[in-house]
Amino acid sequence: MTLIQDRPSEQPPRLEEPALMEIVPGPRPHGLVKYITSTDHKQIGLNYLVTSFIGFLFAGGLAEGIRTQLIKPDNHFVTENVFNQLFTMHGTIMLFVFLGPFAFAGLGNYFVPLMIGAPDMAFPRFNNLSYWLYLGGFLMLAGGFLTNNGAANFGWFGYAPITEAIHSPGPGADMWIVGIALTGFSGIFTAVNIITTIFTLRAPGMVMFRMPIFVWNQLVTMFLILLAFPVLTAAFALLWLDRHLNTHFYDPTHGGQPILWQNLFWFFGHPEVYILALPYFGIVTEVLATNSKKPVFGYKGMVGATLSIGALSMGVWAHHMYTTGAVLLPFFAALSLLIAVPTGIKFFNWLGTMWRGTLVVNTATLFCLGFLACFLFGGITGVILAQPVLDFQLHNTYFVVAHFHYVMFGGSAFAGFAGIYYWYPKMTGRKLDERLGVLSFVILFIGFNLTFFPQHDLGLRGMPRRIETYDGHLGWNFLNLLSSLGAYIAGFGVLISVWNFFHSYRHGELAGDNPWDGQTLEWACSSPPPEHNFEALPPIRSERPVWDANHPDMLTKVGH
Amino acid sequence: MKVEWRTILGASIFLGATGVIYVAYKNHPTEAAGVVMLVFGFAAYFMLFGFLLLQYFRRRRIPRPEDRFDATHADGEGEIAYFPNASIWPAGMGLGMVVASVGLVWGLWYAIIGLTIFFGAIFGYMTESDAETAAVEAAEARAAEEASLRHSRTE
Repeated sequence: MTLIQDRPSEQPPRLEEPALMEIVPGPRPHGLVKYITSTDHKQIGLNYLVTSFIGFLFAGGLAEGIRTQLIKPDNHFVTENVFNQLFTMHGTIMLFVFLGPFAFAGLGNYFVPLMIGAPDMAFPRFNNLSYWLYLGGFLMLAGGFLTNNGAANFGWFGYAPITEAIHSPGPGADMWIVGIALTGFSGIFTAVNIITTIFTLRAPGMVMFRMPIFVWNQLVTMFLILLAFPVLTAAFALLWLDRHLNTHFYDPTHGGQPILWQNLFWFFGHPEVYILALPYFGIVTEVLATNSKKPVFGYKGMVGATLSIGALSMGVWAHHMYTTGAVLLPFFAALSLLIAVPTGIKFFNWLGTMWRGTLVVNTATLFCLGFLACFLFGGITGVILAQPVLDFQLHNTYFVVAHFHYVMFGGSAFAGFAGIYYWYPKMTGRKLDERLGVLSFVILFIGFNLTFFPQHDLGLRGMPRRIETYDGHLGWNFLNLLSSLGAYIAGFGVLISVWNFFHSYRHGELAGDNPWDGQTLEWACSSPPPEHNFEALPPIRSERPVWDANHPDMLTKVGH
Repeated sequence: MKVEWRTILGASIFLGATGVIYVAYKNHPTEAAGVVMLVFGFAAYFMLFGFLLLQYFRRRRIPRPEDRFDATHADGEGEIAYFPNASIWPAGMGLGMVVASVGLVWGLWYAIIGLTIFFGAIFGYMTESDAETAAVEAAEARAAEEASLRHSRTE
């Protein structure tokens, strides 16, 4: 990682010295010792990014197993129990190990301090601790497959009373509980850390309304984490008591309430969906603004939209529970539909950012455009599902599966890839191969749509989710075949990118400090950034200080 | 600090108002989980708002350099914060917590081992901070001594 490159001969004009820092003397470890002991936010961010991407590949492998089982009717690739484990752990690992921590802990750790001009996170050692809890949680979840009864097999939202000891014996379910709880603690620690960093370690002149949108989105995400994860931990505590100490919180045969689990879980679960989406919105905003060579269109509208999405997401939990008949339908339908408004504002602003810009079409931009298309589609099916009348018809069918994969994979994961392609030069000093990147995007985009578009129709034809096999005469055969082939194609597209990450680490084109003509502060330090980040900082007079320093003739208009 | 506490206050008020509407229209009298969660969410954010407001008034409403539109880097001179070196103890604490949580799956023996590791790591963490402070103080003392020696030599 010690790629030292000559700094560009012409320094950006008008640089000022940053405030003095006192660096504690002491040894500077390398290699494995650095991985274990480092308190540097960049090293910890990289740990998170690599670990969560391994989680992505692992859970992606499970998904290929699911699709292989469903490729033809009456298939016996895996047994029923193993199939249940596959989809449960696919969902759990994708959500708790990959999508969330990749953005809010990985990219958040690495880029939030850089973007606000801070030397490090507010609590560096705490930061290291949260990584180890996260890794422990991941190993615990994945380790469930090694136990006698296998991993948890009741679906990622583990509805009671299937999770009770009598229905799900064995340590797999307990490992699922403990694993998620550990990643939850890690998330809470990261949230405390990043909120404190944003509130107290900004560079002089970096007022709240000059922070990049990515940082704003991280901030709102962290507040959602603080509200959501403790509820989940509480729900898990009750579940653990049920399983081991014979309490009956969720057990209906002894007067418990399974619906309580659903309320608690979804009060966590719906903010969680936005925890998985908001940081990715931030990535898209940054990539599109940089590659359009324009400031973000409607900056304050963007901040307001993020805040209102965050607020509304806490009041919509029961739209996952319409068919229970125990929730207030108009209330939750109205709030759910309201979320479409700020999301629409975001779309409008993304288009406005690109409008009349000189859009540089590289891999990161392509992934963002893919994000816009897929996420819009997923959002529209979301509006459909938010209406109780339609949801009663579509609940628990493949339509729902298609909807949230369009949001989570076509939306968030595509934006995640855009983030990797955009920030890889900053993290390693080398660019990723553009031709491989474009190839990967095209294959992934085709494969993704081929996988999940037919699933809408499957849902409308009545195929329920989570069935391990089906009869041949139901009219589902061809669509399932298409979907499975698409899954293999998408997997191939991901592998091309993985090869690209490995190959370019050694052989990529040297990037320099500011390869994309970036606008925000992370492009003001060298690639990769030195310990405590900044040797010099440009003055911060707008939301894109680096652009102002590099283009004195095209200063950002300041509207305050 | 103004933007910070206003943002949190807004979130808190939103949760409170949602809670009130939810209680008013709730058609299932036994459903209490939603009310409790919304009220606690409101209270949690309100507490955070109170803390930030307290900080705001403790600074006599004088904006920090990072709250001023016209601040330069010179305004932020001085020590920013303490950024510790690499340390093995957070990983030790993590190991302890993970092993302790294994106790929730396979029996409490693991919890005892895990908690032992955990508190041992906390002890190491504390002494490490002391050692680091001592090292910094020793370096400063040495520098002062050298300076005074040089001073006496020139006399």
